[in-house]
Amino acid sequence: MNRYEVFLKKLGRDEFRHAGSLDAADPEMAVMYARETHNRRAEGSEMWLVDRRHVLVADPESMAVNDQKPHRHNDGSRVAARRKENRNSEA
Amino acid sequence: MHTLADAPTDGRTWSDLDDFQAFIDAGGMVEPGDDMPDEFRSEVFRFIEFHANSELMGGLTERDWIPHAPGLRLKQIFLAKTQDEIGHAHLLYMVAADMGVKTRTEMLEQLFDGRSRFHNVFHYKAVTWADQVAIAFLVDAAAFASQRAVFAECTYGPYKRVLKRIVAEEGFHMRHGEEMLLRLATGTDTQRVMFQDALTRWWWPAVHLFGPDSPSGDTDPLIRWKIKSQRNEVLRQAYVQKYVPLLHGYGFDIPDNELHQDADGLWQAGSIDWEPLKATMRNGGPDSARRIATAAGNWADTAWVREALEQ
Ligand SMILES: [Fe+2]
Ligand SMILES: [Fe+2]
Repeated sequence: MNRYEVFLKKLGRDEFRHAGSLDAADPEMAVMYARETHNRRAEGSEMWLVDRRHVLVADPESMAVNDQKPHRHNDGSRVAARRKENRNSEA
Repeated sequence: MHTLADAPTDGRTWSDLDDFQAFIDAGGMVEPGDDMPDEFRSEVFRFIEFHANSELMGGLTERDWIPHAPGLRLKQIFLAKTQDEIGHAHLLYMVAADMGVKTRTEMLEQLFDGRSRFHNVFHYKAVTWADQVAIAFLVDAAAFASQRAVFAECTYGPYKRVLKRIVAEEGFHMRHGEEMLLRLATGTDTQRVMFQDALTRWWWPAVHLFGPDSPSGDTDPLIRWKIKSQRNEVLRQAYVQKYVPLLHGYGFDIPDNELHQDADGLWQAGSIDWEPLKATMRNGGPDSARRIATAAGNWADTAWVREALEQ
């Protein structure tokens, strides 16, 4: 038995989404099980199956560093503040 | 870095149960890679295993009635329903197996050995086709209500994600149930008597499905950890409020002499005898032995398929 991760997507919409996992003896059975369990009412029109052993998992700490980089965002507040300051000094 | 197949070593940890409770109370969700407290792992595993067993035993009953379903449309519906229920079992056994307490094979073998528990309603005999209608109308609805109440919070991520599909499909079963009930209710006298007899058999098991009142305060760990979002008696009461008027509306009698409306117009069930429920939890219900033996027989008969697939 191999354990597979199932991903589904509607054609032309959104991204592939994880739908669940299943055990199957071979790829052909895996595709059939996935269709009959996770796509019973055509929830997707495209499906990916990935052997769980081939899914790389990044360490959460290695992900977290990017949560502290405000310079990668810009909400426009600095420009708004400067404009307001200019208006006030003109008045 | 590791692969999804390796035992994760980088999940979250909690110093003690209070620390874990604070995480839950702050809206936290537990994922399989987390170093969850042993108490949480074993209680949640037991709950999911019970749910998985119930879906499988329920699916096997549905299957038995496919040949007896009147007409092609109902045969197709029962085929689909059987597949849905077996699918629910597949989804849940996978989530349970990934908790690392028992393998799926261990869970199945213990179920077929009569060492596991499953929902009370699958310990009774379905006598006529009308019983299947009563099961779809009453039991799928009760299962829907209790599963939806788990889905509402459900702090174990993989369980919550599969419940989304399960609850949606249970909704189809409920609507099929109402359609089939309408057919019997507006049919011949024989059909109405058939349904009344089935209702008399299935009313109490359906009410029992919600279980006795939850332990007082917050002593039920599944409520404290927000796996369950509602107390048993709250769900049971909501069910009675909804189904008593519906069944009365179709002109059927509910087998409860003490059933009445209180001063606020709420329906109050009579005192509930919990002995039949307890018997089913010991696998000592009226049809437990036959059902378990049939399921075990199917498992044994299909051993060659599993062996062939392993080649
Ligand atoms: Fe189900
Ligand atoms: Fe169902």
